[in-house]
Amino acid sequence: MSNWLSLPMLALAAILQSTFVPQIRILGGGPDLVFLFVLAWALNTRLENGVTWAFVGGVLQDLLSAAPTGTSVLGMVILVFAINQINRQVYGVSLAVIAALVLAGTLLQQVMVMIVLRFSGFPINLIENFTYIVVPTMAYNFVLIWPIYWFVRRLQKRYTRDGRLLV
Amino acid sequence: MCLFICVGLILASRAGLLSPVEGVLSVPLNAISGVFNRVALSLTNTVTDLSELQSLRERNANLEEALAQFQAEIVELREIASDYDRLTDLLDYTTGVRNQQTIAADVVGIDQLSSLRTIAINRGARDGIAVGMPVVTGQGLVGRVMDVTANASRVLLITDQSSAVSARLQNTRVEGSVIGQIAIGLRMTYIPLSAAVQEGDLAVTSGLGGNFPADIVIGQVISVREQQSELYKEAEIRSLINFDTLEFVLVVTSFQPVDVSTFEDS
Repeated sequence: MSNWLSLPMLALAAILQSTFVPQIRILGGGPDLVFLFVLAWALNTRLENGVTWAFVGGVLQDLLSAAPTGTSVLGMVILVFAINQINRQVYGVSLAVIAALVLAGTLLQQVMVMIVLRFSGFPINLIENFTYIVVPTMAYNFVLIWPIYWFVRRLQKRYTRDGRLLV
Repeated sequence: MCLFICVGLILASRAGLLSPVEGVLSVPLNAISGVFNRVALSLTNTVTDLSELQSLRERNANLEEALAQFQAEIVELREIASDYDRLTDLLDYTTGVRNQQTIAADVVGIDQLSSLRTIAINRGARDGIAVGMPVVTGQGLVGRVMDVTANASRVLLITDQSSAVSARLQNTRVEGSVIGQIAIGLRMTYIPLSAAVQEGDLAVTSGLGGNFPADIVIGQVISVREQQSELYKEAEIRSLINFDTLEFVLVVTSFQPVDVSTFEDS
């Protein structure tokens, strides 16, 4: 069920990312809504379910971009695997874990996107991109993860029985 | 395994193998995106208008005063324009921007990735759009078409880091290259140190390189940077266009970009 839910939710996030987010950019960076939804969902789900969300979200994001399809998937898939490893070692998702994951994850995602874009022939200035895009995006994501995580948890609980997702 | 699939996806997309699938999948996304974009722009405009109401009133009064002066000047300039038309007809001379055919298009989305500055428009190959066509508005140059599907196209904005436009300053005819910047928007580089550049100078396309018609407005010089250790001057350019709130653009369909790479190779 949750895999089917990913398509409309992430499509809506991708469309908002392409229409509303450019209006609220600070310097050159804005919140990465698709990334935040994937992160929030992956924190309390099985690995395969999280990977599905990363693939669907990343591909939808790239369809609305000039970047090659798959550019946004790479960082998110690595992040989902990292979350899975952390979840095995840490019992329960604490606020500190979420805060650390959103900051480190945003950095990872942005760096992976920049690397792929550079290899794809886009002349990306890494230092300028870090200052004007990555840092504001990290700040935005850090603020927005909390309402998104709350929303996603409520949604997950609706499709959960005995703490396990109905997938 | 997943990472291999990702890399395979990227390589296939770069090679253009996924273009048909991407084209089909992006149709509904672009359509919905177009509707959302209208709503987003309306909201942004409303918020901006409300916050600028007082300054707009003062500006309106100033503009009305200026309008009265300009109307007098227009009468004079019309006389000069008619003389100019007669003379250019005699010389059989037309500038790049005159007599160009254009197609109007709605902006349906802005690039998801903050590192890229591109927009999606709702006109594609079926409307006669082709890769390389210049895109403009009444305020000046927007960019050029970089990717075309059946009913949508992607436009590389001049503010993108990979964009470079051959330009000249309108008054002094000094040549340079306007490149996109994340932070400040546009920067004109390769201006000779001996050239006189002043704030307020208008930068227009030079037509060199054959990618754009000549004499399209790019923007205005807002500051000049000169370092003795460097061979060239640089100038920050402010476009008259707000690229984040673009609603409509014009694609110049009659302009054929010239491929000068043949000469470069030889």
